[in-house]
Amino acid sequence: MKIELRGVCFGYNNKNPLIDDFNCTFESGKCYCLKGRNGCGKTTLTKLILRLLVAQSGEIVIDNENIKKMSVAEISQNVGYLFQNPELQLFAPTVKEELSFPFELNKTLTQETEVRIEETLRQFGLTELKNSFPLLLSGGEKQRLALATIFVRDIKFLILDEPSSSIDCEGKQFLSELIADFVRSGGGVLVISHDEEFVALLDNPEMLWLGEAE
Amino acid sequence: MKTDPRTKLLLIVCLSTLAVIAVDIIYLSIIFCVAAAVNALLGTNIIKVLPKMRFLLSVIVFISVAQSLTVKGGAPLLYIKNIVFVSTAGLLYGGEFALRMSIVILSSLIALSTGSRDMIDGLIKMRIPYEIAFMVSITLRFLPVFRDEFSNRLNALRLRGFDLKKAALGKKLKIYSYLLAPAVSGSIIRSRELAESIESRGFRAFGKRTSLRDLTLKSADYFVIILTLACAGGFAAFMYIKGALL
Ligand SMILES: Nc1ncnc2c1ncn2[C@@H]1O[C@H](COP(=O)(O)OP(=O)(O)O)[C@@H](O)[C@H]1O
Ligand SMILES: [Mg+2]
Repeated sequence: MKIELRGVCFGYNNKNPLIDDFNCTFESGKCYCLKGRNGCGKTTLTKLILRLLVAQSGEIVIDNENIKKMSVAEISQNVGYLFQNPELQLFAPTVKEELSFPFELNKTLTQETEVRIEETLRQFGLTELKNSFPLLLSGGEKQRLALATIFVRDIKFLILDEPSSSIDCEGKQFLSELIADFVRSGGGVLVISHDEEFVALLDNPEMLWLGEAE
Repeated sequence: MKTDPRTKLLLIVCLSTLAVIAVDIIYLSIIFCVAAAVNALLGTNIIKVLPKMRFLLSVIVFISVAQSLTVKGGAPLLYIKNIVFVSTAGLLYGGEFALRMSIVILSSLIALSTGSRDMIDGLIKMRIPYEIAFMVSITLRFLPVFRDEFSNRLNALRLRGFDLKKAALGKKLKIYSYLLAPAVSGSIIRSRELAESIESRGFRAFGKRTSLRDLTLKSADYFVIILTLACAGGFAAFMYIKGALL
């Protein structure tokens, strides 16, 4: 999988563009780390890739197809996204349903997916919290649950928006291992992070800057 | 002249009550005109707030159109052979609904011309406890938060690979109901956090609050209040006699 950004420009208002002529290419099997000052538009850039926002000029191409022609849902089949505030991507009444309800809605909840859900819960250390209310979990638990909802599907590219802000050392270790495993199995990862300690845990990431360097 | 918040509250209550109890489109139109005139007199900037209510307005339009198409009766206006698409009764029904909702919105806009500080003072003067008055004014501030909670969750769902546009109506409703619950509980959790933050800043640390500025009703306010009550009462009585009350 290949995500190309060519001459991307975006601004929330017409007066001052936030992102001005941004170019880069993300490929599978690699880990990228995006840095930039607070408020320079990193979150905005990821929203452009997912087409939650539309660039004013320039183009974003996924596997040789311009995302103009794709819907958010289509892009998300292959790209997983962890919000800066994972709480906003949780909505089911219990942890278990958080994973199962998309399958239920699509009527694809089979024995196989049930097994996969249990496995994912275990992988993310959520088996014991299975029946808890997602919005009342701790910051780290919410993040693990949000990640579980991503990994319960087969994605090829993962975008993490400041993932280390609400987790402890152990959480960071877990996350960096998860990223390493995913990259090893051929996935691509884009991490936005300021946290030097966390970035040091990543396995040789390619560094990118948005805006001027610090 | 600066109108007292209590006078405005009375206007809001009277106008929206009349809108809810009136059933005839002619009376509703009259109430609508009065509500618009009151807003104009108080100087609310309607043009500026309308775009913010796009979603609400489109829902109202959608429901009105749906009602005009589904309610049958009266003379058929648009039909093919025996199948009636639009009838006079349907149009009236849809129009009444649209008017009623517009009046409620217009009258709540009256509150916009008052700062939340003044609104709280007005409510306290009406012997409403400070905590409750404060909650009412905070609620207004929370409506946009609630809307954001909802649209964020909608995005999150799309990010899990759902195409809402392609989903069938039944499924769409199910999805909306799925999103409503966390948006509500999310808002409640957030308001609890807000309450904790307010308490930690010393809210209610002292018993009785005093106020630097004191609200007093001026003679013009008394005039408007009496006029409002008389007109609203008279109009309601008139509609009652004509049989146009709910
Ligand atoms: N929905 C929005 N409307 C207007 N301005 C926004 C919006 N979202 C973010 N911004 C502004 O755009 C800038 C970049 O935001 P963001 O992409 O979140 O930065 P960061 O690099 O810290 O993630 C900030 O100045 C922010 O205030
Ligand atoms: Mg950000």
